[in-house]
Amino acid sequence: MKTFVEKIGVAAIDMTGSLKATLLFAIKVVFRMFDRNAYNSAVKMVLVEQIYFTSVQILPLFLTIAVIFGSILVIILMLVVKELGMVQYIGRFMIGFMVYELSPFITVILIALRSSSAINTEIAVMKVNKEIRTLEAFHIDAMNYLFLPRIINGIISVVFLNSLFSIVVLATGLIFSNFIFQMSFDTYTDVLINSIYFSDIIIMYLKCITYGVFITLIPIMFGLNATNELTSIPVSVLNGMVRVFIAIVIIEVLSLILKLI
Amino acid sequence: MISLDIPLISNLDVLNNIALIKLYRDNLPKRQAEQLVLKLLNRYKLEDIAYKRSADLTDEHRFCVMLLRAAMINEATIVIDRPFIILHNSQDSSFMKYALNTIDDLYNQCHILDYIWNKDRYIKDNAS
Amino acid sequence: MPHKHAFKVGLFVIIATFLIVSTIGYLVYKKGMFEKVYTYTLSVKSGENLTTGMPVVFSGFTIGNVEDLELSEEGIVLIKIKIPKRHIKWIRSDSVFALDKPLIGSAKIIVQTKNLNSPELSADNILEIATSSDINEMVKRIHPILDTITKIATNIENITADLSNPQGDVHKILKNTQKLTANFSEKSSLLEMAVSDQDSVVALHAAMKNARGITVQIENTLKKVNAMAVKTDEKLYGDEGLLPLVNNILKDLVVKLQKLDATVGNINTISREAAGSAKDMEALREQIDATIYAIQELVDRLDNLVPFKKEPDMRLP
Repeated sequence: MKTFVEKIGVAAIDMTGSLKATLLFAIKVVFRMFDRNAYNSAVKMVLVEQIYFTSVQILPLFLTIAVIFGSILVIILMLVVKELGMVQYIGRFMIGFMVYELSPFITVILIALRSSSAINTEIAVMKVNKEIRTLEAFHIDAMNYLFLPRIINGIISVVFLNSLFSIVVLATGLIFSNFIFQMSFDTYTDVLINSIYFSDIIIMYLKCITYGVFITLIPIMFGLNATNELTSIPVSVLNGMVRVFIAIVIIEVLSLILKLI
Repeated sequence: MISLDIPLISNLDVLNNIALIKLYRDNLPKRQAEQLVLKLLNRYKLEDIAYKRSADLTDEHRFCVMLLRAAMINEATIVIDRPFIILHNSQDSSFMKYALNTIDDLYNQCHILDYIWNKDRYIKDNAS
Repeated sequence: MPHKHAFKVGLFVIIATFLIVSTIGYLVYKKGMFEKVYTYTLSVKSGENLTTGMPVVFSGFTIGNVEDLELSEEGIVLIKIKIPKRHIKWIRSDSVFALDKPLIGSAKIIVQTKNLNSPELSADNILEIATSSDINEMVKRIHPILDTITKIATNIENITADLSNPQGDVHKILKNTQKLTANFSEKSSLLEMAVSDQDSVVALHAAMKNARGITVQIENTLKKVNAMAVKTDEKLYGDEGLLPLVNNILKDLVVKLQKLDATVGNINTISREAAGSAKDMEALREQIDATIYAIQELVDRLDNLVPFKKEPDMRLP
């Protein structure tokens, strides 16, 4: 019994410690983000490369998923709304559910699956290969050169790709609202505009920014936890990705609470 | 510092590995840094390896790249740590000497740290 | 290669930024963010269902929203609503505000303006808002419907009980009608003899035959009515239902028996002039009167009991 309680205690202490370390690292990164001296040609080069690999390279796949997935969800949503006789709430459903909730969630899941895992592996490999030591030897701050561009890229990618996903979903909504409800363009835009509140847009983008920070920061942290052994790489990626998904869920819940306040 | 413990960064090509120091420390524009690196590689007639990564390089090429990267620091003092571990196919220090002499204008001093039993390799080279 | 990446990334950032900025710009423009906003004050006794930000709706379109809610010194809830300048034309001095709480969905304030040419509503005026709730409205509407359904059920029970009772009115009427027709058939020669009017006697006989036919028809119909008691309300109350058929037949019977009454009246007149047959004729007259009265009563009762015309749209669940 005592051992069991002790185990729970150890787990709780570990969890608190991990959360504290993550938040402290996040605060450090955020402060560094606003430090002008942190930016130089090398950092800019890495940032451009990261945006290319995270946002531009994924764009055809992302847009295809947005069109297919968005269309299916919009059709289901509209048919359900029609069946329930709640056509007057179509704007609230489209904006509240598809744009504010589903769009950031799908975007962050796609980016996490593709880029977070890549970042985690990349940092872990660099650690195992002693490349982090190379940076130290040449007096290159890993925080500035490695972490900052990746975290900024996370923010930019989630914000931009989420916006694109939302625009694609709303565009498919226009087409299907015309087919299902015989809604004109003007009526559709009026319905949507009446359902949009700037406070909700701000919350949505804040959520995207937070997603962007944590889906890159957590893999970096877990990548740095890798030891000098090659076998530590998959362990680091596994732990990192689990924490990324936990972070996504926590951020989603917090954003819903923020909306209710 | 040139050492196997300070490897080339695996996700950067040769050009960027060398240019990184100028980009980060001197905030040199990317194009300018790249031009500079290409010129330096040309001294060894190695422009063709500019876009290769560390894993694709021979020992000699890797040594040259590491040397150039170390020389990117202004008024550099180069320390070579156990060079025959990097150039493990070389029997003597002749290639090392050639590599250092080619870019001698880029550094102030050069120190080589090696095991005592490798002393002959350097003596033989100096004698010849 | 890296420069190619830089170009693509630049293009991506420019296009995405343009899309975001233009979308937000369009929203700002359409929502009239920089437009002048007018504030009006409304009052209501209870702040229930009221929230800041809830929409103010005119003809189904949101024209403003609730900016603030406060409780006055008198304990009345004051609602401050914001209306942008472009929608101010819908708010007039004769505008009526109502708080609408639909069964599903959030509450809203509905504005109704009788005359759009009326003068503008002054910002100092505090209008009281009416409250309408879908649930309360539905409960109010359901009460009379439930009362009517109860009455109809009682009526149907009465009808079926009457039809099944051998001592009931319908059965009495049938017996009376049978008796009457039997009498008529027995006394046909007497009539002819007493009246000595060939036409009247023929008319009387025709009426009697008709009455016999009607009796058979009533009997058949009553059987159908009995069966009908267990059928659905559609069959009972529909245009082609059984009860309307009974009603029509009985009305037809009344008309025909009234004709019979006239004929018998004629016989009476003639009989006053003829001696000896008066007693028979009076008895006949009484029987016919009694029958007509009973049938008329039945028709009236059926008319009263079954609400053919009163609730034409009523449908039992």
